[in-house]
Amino acid sequence: MSNTNVKHKAKMTPRAKSEAIWGLAFVAPTITGLIILNFIPVFQTIWQSFCKTGDFGKGNIFIGLKNYQNMLTGSASAEMWQSLWNTIKYTLVQVPFSIAIAMLLAVLLNRKLKGRSAYRTIFFLPMVCAPAAVAMVWKWIYNQQFGLLNNLFHTNTAWISNPKLAWLSIAVIGIWSAIGYNMVLFIGGLQEIPHDYYEAALIDGANGWQQFWNITWPLLSPTTFFILQTGLIGALTVFDLMFMVMDKTNMALSKTESIVYLFYTYSFTENNKGAGATIVVILVLFIMLITFILQKAEKKFVYHP
Amino acid sequence: MKKKAISVLLAAMIGTALLAGCGSSGVTGTSASTDSAEAKTTASASGSDTLQVDIWDNNQLAGLQQIADEWTKTSGVPVKINVITWDQYWTLLEAGASGGEMPDVFWMHSNTAQMYMENNMLLNLDDYIAKDDAIDLSNYYEGIVSLYSSDGHQYALPKDHDTIALLYNQAIFDKYGVATPTDDWTWEDVYKAASEISKKGAADGVYGYALNTSNNQDGWYNLIYDYGGQVITDDHKGTTIGSDESKAGMEMVRKILTAAVPQTMVAESGTDSLFQSNIVGMITQGSWMVNSFYTAQDHENYKWAVLPYADVNGNGSCDKGERQSCYNGLGWAISANTKHPDEAYSLISYFSSKEGQQKQAELGVTMAAYKDMSDAFTSSFDGMDLSAFTKIEDDGTLYFRPYTRKTTVWEDAIQQEGCFLDAWQDPSDPAKMAAACDNAQKIIEDAIANE
Repeated sequence: MSNTNVKHKAKMTPRAKSEAIWGLAFVAPTITGLIILNFIPVFQTIWQSFCKTGDFGKGNIFIGLKNYQNMLTGSASAEMWQSLWNTIKYTLVQVPFSIAIAMLLAVLLNRKLKGRSAYRTIFFLPMVCAPAAVAMVWKWIYNQQFGLLNNLFHTNTAWISNPKLAWLSIAVIGIWSAIGYNMVLFIGGLQEIPHDYYEAALIDGANGWQQFWNITWPLLSPTTFFILQTGLIGALTVFDLMFMVMDKTNMALSKTESIVYLFYTYSFTENNKGAGATIVVILVLFIMLITFILQKAEKKFVYHP
Repeated sequence: MKKKAISVLLAAMIGTALLAGCGSSGVTGTSASTDSAEAKTTASASGSDTLQVDIWDNNQLAGLQQIADEWTKTSGVPVKINVITWDQYWTLLEAGASGGEMPDVFWMHSNTAQMYMENNMLLNLDDYIAKDDAIDLSNYYEGIVSLYSSDGHQYALPKDHDTIALLYNQAIFDKYGVATPTDDWTWEDVYKAASEISKKGAADGVYGYALNTSNNQDGWYNLIYDYGGQVITDDHKGTTIGSDESKAGMEMVRKILTAAVPQTMVAESGTDSLFQSNIVGMITQGSWMVNSFYTAQDHENYKWAVLPYADVNGNGSCDKGERQSCYNGLGWAISANTKHPDEAYSLISYFSSKEGQQKQAELGVTMAAYKDMSDAFTSSFDGMDLSAFTKIEDDGTLYFRPYTRKTTVWEDAIQQEGCFLDAWQDPSDPAKMAAACDNAQKIIEDAIANE
């Protein structure tokens, strides 16, 4: 690829040259934006993670790996590992369920059905709501004293105060919020599968389950993989749900707080940007590892006709 | 077809983004319009933009905007007050300070004042105050004036001060036949009444008391000081929270907690909502919250009594130092790099002047930082007796809200797991409360060492 490019460059006509310059000119605003808003902060964050940071971004002192030492093995490590584990637990529940339920709904809503678009709209609605508002509503649904859930089922469960249960309650909100978006993507994927396959299968005498397993599942796998990958990254960086639902004095907070929540606490509540940057770098490395494994698995998992 | 789905999706997302954009600009429009009518004509003359003011308390917005509009009438400069919730206020202000984009005028608080002053984020007001006839710093509570001065320079004008009182629900006391709190109650009396209500009201789900670990200034800090302990020592460099005196105070807190709403419930709903749901007999609250209870649905049942005292020497009467109320005072500060320093100072000078303070008290916004003006505040709430807040200024001892350079680091930590939250979860065990005091001692000492 690069070889052909080089050859191409050598033979560039004046017209091609001017096109290339104009092309660059047109993408320049985006590139400058990316550099200023994304790339520079990335390197600043990495630099900060090696510093004892001063107030208001002034007076940073280089301290080498001390932040990492403290975060991985030192006094802050217990909380860091716990919140990383909380995040993984959340991801392991939120991602599979939001994919499975969304796929089921997509298959059902892809058929000829009365009021189909109404259903689709309803399932997509959570996606349109601001996540903070969603979390606020769920917080009161879960409330032990006045909550809808306990009043409806005449139970007295501490949905968000019981450390063993709270993380699951939070994951349910995450699943509910993600279903609509995933479903729309799945419907898009389903509509790309040619109808002929199903007709042929029908003639061959395949039942519904066989059709799903042998046609839908493999041909949908590129969409599934896309949702899996973006879903994983989204779940690993979850913050707003915990932040809005869990009070600072909630006993279950330490068993639910996500790694980004911990980053927020360090960076903005305690104003310790160095420790916050360290957590972010650790999280990025972790996500890179997961993505790498996923890319390897892609060849086996995704069906390429 | 996939493309179509995605384009629909994108359209939807852009649509919502546009809606959000319209929404926020709409808000700006409406709140600015109140003062823009008369301002427009005069503002162009002085050639200045709107002054941006940031505060965190929505209860005070209407009253403060009214005072600001008065100022606009003479100055011709429109003022826009933005409310940002307490938690996000500091995040935003800090980000603004780092990026050089702070609002012109904003509230300062004891938690962070030192950090902002030391880093020259606030406008030095010395010259302005010297030239200003309306401001004489000796007219204000000393603790507030000294809080906002660093190296002999003044960086904020006192805005208000506050005291704490005991709030009770008359209907609950009547229903269970319990004598209502008087101005001579001790914390022991509170405990007895709370346990009686909790016992008799168990079937109705009514509790005698509610207190969360986060009710520090308006709650358990006061008991520590009643018994002779200190959360932060006078030099702001240490603590005696692990001392026997503090432990005695927290032991009293523990006793009251045994008759209070379980902590999990308090953390989910908040003490104020529980009280306003009429299932809690008593809470303690600060004067800055009066408006919220005054406008509540069942406000005629809500009565204030003077904050109880601790009869430490056991002589049956309240002696000096046995009744302590935490007080705090906000400051009006100006961004060091504001484009309109003169207008901004003129505004905060008006807020802090005798006239502005009188208005603030009369409108029931908060108690004034100006001395001897508390009666104007208490009489501004028709039908609700607020003398409890002023009586403690005469009979009790006021101590300033404990603060260090980075207050939030230890203040949050001692409210959470590994400190007082453990004791709150299981108030029946005195050992847990004592252990929490020891943990708090260590947490605060470590935090100060790292400041």
